[in-house]
Amino acid sequence: MAYDYGPSIVHSMRRRTRQSTNLMSNQTSAPIRVGMLFSETGVTSVIETSQRLGTLLAVEEINATSGIHGRELKLISYDPQSRPSAYRQLAEQLVVDDGVRVILGCYMSSTRKAVLPVLERWNALLMYPTLYEGFEYSRHVIYTGAAPNQNSVQLAEFMMRAFGSRVFMVGSDYLYPYESNRIMSDLILEGGGEKVAEVYLPLDAKREDFAAVVKRIKALQPDFVFSTVVGEGTAMLYQAYAEAGLDPLRMPIASLTTSEAEVQQMGAQFSGGHITSAPYFQSIDSDNNRRCVEAFHRRFGDDRVANQCWEAAYFQTHLLANAMRRVEPGDVEALLRVLPGAEFEAPQGRVRIDEHSHHTYLSPRIGRGDGNGQFEILEQARTWVRPDPYLVSHTLEDWSVRVKLQTA
Amino acid sequence: MPAAPPKTARATPALLRDLRSLQVVVFHPDDADGHELISQLHRIGCQVRAFWPPQERLPDDAGLIFFAVRPDAMAVELAWLRRDPVPPVIAVVNYENPITIEAVLRLNALGIVASPVKSFGLLSAAVVALAQAERNQERERYVTKLEQRLSGLRKLAKAKTILMLSRAIGEEDAYRLIREQAMAKRVTTEEIADAIIKANEILAFEGKGS
Repeated sequence: MAYDYGPSIVHSMRRRTRQSTNLMSNQTSAPIRVGMLFSETGVTSVIETSQRLGTLLAVEEINATSGIHGRELKLISYDPQSRPSAYRQLAEQLVVDDGVRVILGCYMSSTRKAVLPVLERWNALLMYPTLYEGFEYSRHVIYTGAAPNQNSVQLAEFMMRAFGSRVFMVGSDYLYPYESNRIMSDLILEGGGEKVAEVYLPLDAKREDFAAVVKRIKALQPDFVFSTVVGEGTAMLYQAYAEAGLDPLRMPIASLTTSEAEVQQMGAQFSGGHITSAPYFQSIDSDNNRRCVEAFHRRFGDDRVANQCWEAAYFQTHLLANAMRRVEPGDVEALLRVLPGAEFEAPQGRVRIDEHSHHTYLSPRIGRGDGNGQFEILEQARTWVRPDPYLVSHTLEDWSVRVKLQTA
Repeated sequence: MPAAPPKTARATPALLRDLRSLQVVVFHPDDADGHELISQLHRIGCQVRAFWPPQERLPDDAGLIFFAVRPDAMAVELAWLRRDPVPPVIAVVNYENPITIEAVLRLNALGIVASPVKSFGLLSAAVVALAQAERNQERERYVTKLEQRLSGLRKLAKAKTILMLSRAIGEEDAYRLIREQAMAKRVTTEEIADAIIKANEILAFEGKGS
């Protein structure tokens, strides 16, 4: 039942028989309220702030082009302070008190998991613009960040080819790093490589903790470091790395989460030479991306940086608006009929929500920090890669057969 | 914050790695629940075949069975339940009354999935059932081996006693005799022991026994 239509008498009469409860909202010009949960404080506030701004940019664009058939999209936003319990409580508040049906938000898996029961109890929908470790499908969630088969496999393949296969793993102490390291370990071991160490630090680890880890890295001299440190620790790790005199061009830190936002936080000079695998970098050379980044800078200031989570937050909001234009905006069941399979010309290129997994077809890329806050894109996939969130054993062989990176 | 996993070598268990080649047979009515079940198995990446009503015959390569427990459909004689080894069965239940639970027990189910089927929990149920089945089989094999060894030891003891009594020799000599015979004839000591016992039974037909 996916057809486009403008508001018309025929349409509203047809709807009247089908869904009388929505009659009121259908005829009004009242704003459509959408919830937003991105932390403005706490350990992951920097990256989540960029997700919030990406969402805001998209919403302003949508409203500037007559919204949802003349109705304004209105964000109801709270600050969950990087705490899972606050996410849960605020999600409930959004759905129950504010009458919101769709929430845009969450970064850490723990915060997504906290929101899930609320979505299921009240039949609400979450759009989640963050890379994560996979192994989840909820019909109440649309996942627009990368699954491991869209970033980990590519990173392992590139790093082993370019630097070697002795890897030192350092991560924040929670589920995402464990699972990312499991996948990376499989790939490294399969490629005949070796894991020289696997270290976890608490989310609130201090500067001296990172200095100690870097000291071990220096002593063990791996071919590269795989970091799944998230939040404020990222800056401390890269800074300690530079202070210890380690050369990123010879022995870089490889990451799935160190984006332009983290680079800005740590200081651009610390990021030169380090490698990140992501479907989006601000430096992508396309008209669509340039237009989008310019609009972002015009609206929020030149000092703001785009990044993969910002981009996912941006394009998922457009995907939602397009879906709301096709069906009753407040009807989650109807939205769930049209969102899977939907496509959008995103800054990274065309994206598509997979009908079966609710995850998103994305275009993997490998970027190297240029020392000025941006990434030089070294390689990129020729086509988008289908998301495969339940892929247990990733193999490099599969990857090279299915989608090969090519020099950008 | 989840409990930290073991910090040493974290190779993914073979069981998980093999999920994508796993042949899953689903006995479930063709309804919304059945579709949800099959969709999730597809997401996980399993090879799925679905049938309803339950079939008497099971595809030879079946590695895991999801079985919707409907008491009215349990009248069929499920010959494959007696197959050895039978693939692990996960029962899909929509009632929890004693009749249904009894049917679950008859299936020897190694896991339960509740209807309405949710995507969350299926992967864990499948992996736990497969792991339990593997462990059960290992235990079966071990028990069989122990039984064979025990029976061998009993025979050996009996044969030794026969030799000790009939030739008035000690236990060690009796054992040496059996072992020499076994080596000369290139058979196991157990077989020699068996032959001695049988021969003794024939010679002792008067009923005296050894």
